[in-house]
Amino acid sequence: MDGSIEFTMGLSQGIAWPWPIAVYLFFAGISGGALSVALFIRFYKKQTENTPFLKAASLVSLVTIALGMLCLVIDLTNPLFFWRILVFYNLNSVMSVGVLVLNAYIPLVALVTLFAFEEEIKACKPLHFLLPIIDKLRVIRTPSEKLVLVLAMSVCAYTGFLISALIRFPIINTSVLPALFVASGLSAGAAAAKMLAVSVFKEDLHSKDMHTLHSLEWPVMAAEALFLFMIIMSLATGNAGAQSAFAAFHSGTWAYVFWLGVVGMGFVGPLLLNFATGKAFSHSAKAFFLSGACAVVGMMCLRLFIIYAGQLNAI
Amino acid sequence: MSENLERRRFLKCLGASSLILAPLGCSSVKEKEDINKTHYVMVFDQNKCVGCGECKEACNKANHLPVGKSRLLMEEQSSAVEGQPCPHCGKTNDCGCQRKFVRVSCQQCKNAPCVTVCPTGAAHRDEKTGIVTMDAAKCAGCKYCIGACPYDARFINKETDVADNCDFCLHSKLAIGELPACVQQCRYDALIFGDANDPTSYVSKLLAVKDSVRIKPGFGTEPSLRYIPIVKLGV
Repeated sequence: MDGSIEFTMGLSQGIAWPWPIAVYLFFAGISGGALSVALFIRFYKKQTENTPFLKAASLVSLVTIALGMLCLVIDLTNPLFFWRILVFYNLNSVMSVGVLVLNAYIPLVALVTLFAFEEEIKACKPLHFLLPIIDKLRVIRTPSEKLVLVLAMSVCAYTGFLISALIRFPIINTSVLPALFVASGLSAGAAAAKMLAVSVFKEDLHSKDMHTLHSLEWPVMAAEALFLFMIIMSLATGNAGAQSAFAAFHSGTWAYVFWLGVVGMGFVGPLLLNFATGKAFSHSAKAFFLSGACAVVGMMCLRLFIIYAGQLNAI
Repeated sequence: MSENLERRRFLKCLGASSLILAPLGCSSVKEKEDINKTHYVMVFDQNKCVGCGECKEACNKANHLPVGKSRLLMEEQSSAVEGQPCPHCGKTNDCGCQRKFVRVSCQQCKNAPCVTVCPTGAAHRDEKTGIVTMDAAKCAGCKYCIGACPYDARFINKETDVADNCDFCLHSKLAIGELPACVQQCRYDALIFGDANDPTSYVSKLLAVKDSVRIKPGFGTEPSLRYIPIVKLGV
């Protein structure tokens, strides 16, 4: 930082990627995470029926990725130029690779959702035109579910790789970021899907799937905390640029977002709700929805923190 | 005898390992620079720049930039040490004696992050000259290049809604065989432009004798914009 010549001004006048990108990273993470967890459980338990959790997860996944794409297009300087990303490719670019992944992922999510909702479609007359399509495509159900599981994990990781290519921001440019985004996507995606499964698809709060989820959640959350800790430590003990960016964790508005939103809501909230309260409360629907909401809000705060605090601390 | 065997084994291992290691060395990612190819560089001499800003005006005019946007900025800096009297005038603050200027613009990196990250190939290297420039018809306005540029030297052109950068007047002045507008305009010879791979060019002669620096060399982007820092004033 003690160069013989240096400049601090910039031509872009502000943050290149504002909040819609953070929201997009949030939606893409939820989408990939929810579907990954649901399909993982489906394959692990060799389920063949359409469980409420699978229905909820595929619906969450489809809706969030669609909203995420909307955010992405809104953020372009001219949304009408979005077709250019779909037509021109540069395989050196992480974003271009991501577009290819999403091009396969989105239709497959729609297909998986279609399969999961077969009974609902049968019960709803106006949707009967979909039944022959389902029947025809039934043979590719398992292969497409396997493929979409890989793609879902890729989408989660891709959101991390996408921004870690921005080399001048020490908080963003870390190799742990994709892993952190996979872990937080899994935990928030599972939380969003299980809330929907219980509230809309009448899943029992204490069903076997819910038990599996509960035993999955804590290790994922621990991994997430560990990855965050790794990033913080590497910044605190890193070179001068990293150390100056470390300030984001203890000063300024974004430090509050981190400690109250990410740590407080995302980690401490669910822990307190599940372990610090009486058994009657922690097993209640209230605690279930509160801790689920905590996980989702915590993830949104994490994305906002990474995008804003990251870009505000450049080297 | 045994010594001989040891030596033979050593030589064998050396041969074998070089066979394995040599291809690794050749697979280096970085392109080797072809010295027969033009490599346009710009040198900014801080000793000569007075901060008049005429380079910026010339650039805006030559490249038809919208009002309020520019491909280059001048940063005013002070070499005065805070709290200490100025060696020239003796004032402790706001003396204005030790002002210096830095040109802020696209660094024309040989290893340009904007070109790497651009999803559509709109930010690309001109085939003939190697200059980093924009294909406005391909740019989707995702701003990935702006975030990726370590120099914050790219911006959105409000008129075209696509990203823009200094490209040494590739499509304006250079296209008609002239020097970049800023270089032409500079009355103090603070800007020097030319082919660094041509040993007869003024710029390569200058770089051979003058100490020049690059901004933020730690990023490994290898900028083609070089700076001759100011020598210490006074004392």
